Formats: sequence, structure tokens, C-alpha cells
Amino acid sequence: MGSREEMLAMLRMMMMIRNFEETADKLTLRGKVSGGMHNSSGQEAVAVGVISALAPDDVIATTHRSHHHTLAKGFTAREVMAELMTKATGVAKGRGASMHLGDVSRGHFGGNGIVGAGMGIGMGAALGIKMAGDKKVAIGFVGDGGMNTGRTWEAINMAAIWKLPLIVVVDNNQYAVETFIDRVTAGGDLAKRASGFGLPASTIDGQNVLEVRDAVAQAREYALAGNGPTFLNALTYRYYGHNVGEKGQYRTLEEIEDWRSNRDPIDQFAARLFSEGHLDQATFDEMVASVDAEIKDAVEFAENSPHPDPSEVMLNVDSGKLRG
Amino acid sequence: MEEVFIPALGMAMEEAYLEKWIKQEGEAVNAGDVIALIETDKAQVEVVCESSGTVGKHRFQVGASVPVGETITVILAPGESE
Ligand SMILES: Cc1ncc(C[n+]2csc(CCOP(=O)(O)OP(=O)(O)O)c2C)c(N)n1
Ligand SMILES: [Mg+2]
Repeated sequence: MGSREEMLAMLRMMMMIRNFEETADKLTLRGKVSGGMHNSSGQEAVAVGVISALAPDDVIATTHRSHHHTLAKGFTAREVMAELMTKATGVAKGRGASMHLGDVSRGHFGGNGIVGAGMGIGMGAALGIKMAGDKKVAIGFVGDGGMNTGRTWEAINMAAIWKLPLIVVVDNNQYAVETFIDRVTAGGDLAKRASGFGLPASTIDGQNVLEVRDAVAQAREYALAGNGPTFLNALTYRYYGHNVGEKGQYRTLEEIEDWRSNRDPIDQFAARLFSEGHLDQATFDEMVASVDAEIKDAVEFAENSPHPDPSEVMLNVDSGKLRG
Repeated sequence: MEEVFIPALGMAMEEAYLEKWIKQEGEAVNAGDVIALIETDKAQVEVVCESSGTVGKHRFQVGASVPVGETITVILAPGESE
């Protein structure tokens, strides 16, 4: 299973992501987050399971719903919260907001607003890794909605024929805005669809952080040995609307409640750690309090940070060489 | 005390038109009750409270344009005052 420290760190990271998202959701409703945001509450085990199987140098590329991936990758609550408020202290220096978190120098090839694109970017990163002869892998996160765009399958095809060190992870929360996956997925089974490209493909329980971690660890070994990509369809669920403020009427409250009370990734993992004697009440309470303090501090940091200086508006837009 | 405010519902939403107060000052309410109706540039929206209590002072009148995030009234728990 891993060391006790690793397990507790994974649990704490999931709790931190949940607290971050619920806090950011409220700030967004209050109009403090420029450009809105997509809440990942419910999907923590996918992010934490995937990234806990990686080495720090491994690369991720993600989607419009990316706070959980970004925090799990080791970006601080402070710098992500500041970016949501487009502050100069944010991950992207206040230029990107919620959908453009990333920093290539830290192995994060960014979120983006184009459904399905993150996986293609991950494929490009994997090609770069292979050409450079590095011993690394790239994760291409994609949503279930992104699975029905053409670009994702072009990228999977290329990764397969060139045996690129790419791990495709479908953060499959079963909805694309208001569209339930079963209504739009011909053949029904995404892993089966992917296996047609001749790569290992399976569906995993995205609410079970250890199952996700083990599947990714295995895919990583497979890629590092030069065998090429793996496709993992991680079944999960989002608790909130597609974007903050959405008043959805496309699913029942019972369905949401069922996932929350019977399949919550944090509750399940904490229960397991309790029952196996890795976690006691005092340690858990301490964790809740320290996560709370961390997120409060992040909000304060973000609110007190300045917006970018207007004189720097052209920074990072081009090389600067063509301007006088 | 719960602050009932104009929620930011769209990426470009900056204000809303206060169309109607459904609950009056001093009226008892339950969590989930609709307090006011507002109109954004896209839709009519119900503003709902999350707690039970008594409606406080209406801070804006019908017809006002209220910025996103602004508190329009509060829900007072027993014994609380504004
Ligand atoms: C190419 C493209 N088409 C449509 C959209 C509009 N859009 C934004 S998010 C989204 C749904 C994506 O669903 P999914 O891939 O399942 O990701 P989730 O939101 O569930 O995380 C759509 C259709 C877009 N941003 N880009
Ligand atoms: Mg989805």
C-alpha cells in the first residue's frame, strides 16, 4: 500500500483540494474570481491517485477543470487561489485565471479552454520526452466529453504508432455540461474503443485513490520500458454544476447524494486508513484544522496580492524582439 | 447571520436587476426559500437563502441594478440583529 506518511499525505491532499474548491466556489459566486471556474469536488482521487504515482519530473497536461490536478502536482493553494483572482502572485502571474494554470518548468503543461486539447498537448510532451531521450512520462488528462472529439483519437493514434510515453487519463465524471455520457458514447465502453488502437486500456474506479495510483504506476513502468501509451478510464463524479453558478436540472438530487454518501473518495480512503490503524481521530482532526488554516491563508494571500502592473501587459506575449 | 447576495452566474455578469422581493422584512423563512427574483442579461434567477431565520432589512428597492457579490439582505438567526 505504501508508507503511512505517503497515505496520510494523499488523504490530506484530497482534503485540501476539496476545501480549496468549496471555498473558491463561494468566492466565485461573490464575483471575486475573474472568468468563473469549474469545481472538481468529488474527483479528488483521480488527481491525487495519478500524481502520487509520478516522479516530480513527469509532465501533466490538463483541461478546463484542472484545480485538482494542479494542486496535486504540488502547486500551492496560495498561488492557485491568487491566479483565480488574476493576481500578480498567481501561477500564471495573473494572466490566466482558473482555466490556464500551468508552468512548463514545473512539469505542468497547462489547462486550456478547448475540450480535448489537453490530451493532445500531453501527446506532444510525450513526443518531446522521447526525442530528448528522457526517462519521464506525460499524463494527458481528458474529460468524458473530450472523448467524443476527433483530436483526442488522433493523438492516441500517434502515441500508439510512435510508442510515446503517454498515459491518457479520462477524468470521467460522466457528464459533459448537461449531457450524460451514455447518451453520446457509441459502443458504450471507452476502454474498448481505445483498445482498438492496440494499447492497454482499462476502466478503473476513480473514487479509489489507491486503485488509481497502482494503475498509473503500472502504466508508467510500461511506458518507461519503451512499450508506449496506456489508456485509463477513471470513473468519477462531480458534485457541483459544470461551472460555478450553474442551475442544473439534468440530474437528480438523489443521484448526487448517492455518490456523495456512498462513494466519496475522501470518506472511503479515510475509513480505510482508520480501519487499518494508520489514522486516529486526533491526527484526522489536526489534518482538518491544518487544511482549513492553509486555505484561509491562501484566500488572504490572494485577496491582498496586487493585480499585474498594466505596464507589463506585453510580458510573455511575444519575444519582445520585434518591438522597439 | 447569513448574507443573501447577488451571485455571479455568468463569466461576464456584472450586475442584476432586482425584480421582486418574495420575502418581506421581518418575515420568517426556511433554508431553501426564495428570497428575491433577479434578472441577469440571460435569465431570471431565484435568490435562495441557505439558513432559516428572519429576513432583515431590504437593502435595495425593486428596480435597482445591483452589482454582483453585493448583499441585498440578511437572514437573522433568533436573537441576532443587524
Ligand atoms: C472544442 C470545444 N467544444 C466545446 C466547448 C464547450 N465546452 C466547455 S466544457 C464542455 C464539456 C466538457 O465535458 P468533459 O470533457 O466531460 O469535461 P468536464 O467538464 O466534465 O470536466 C464543453 C462542451 C469547448 N470549450 N471546446
Ligand atoms: Mg465530464
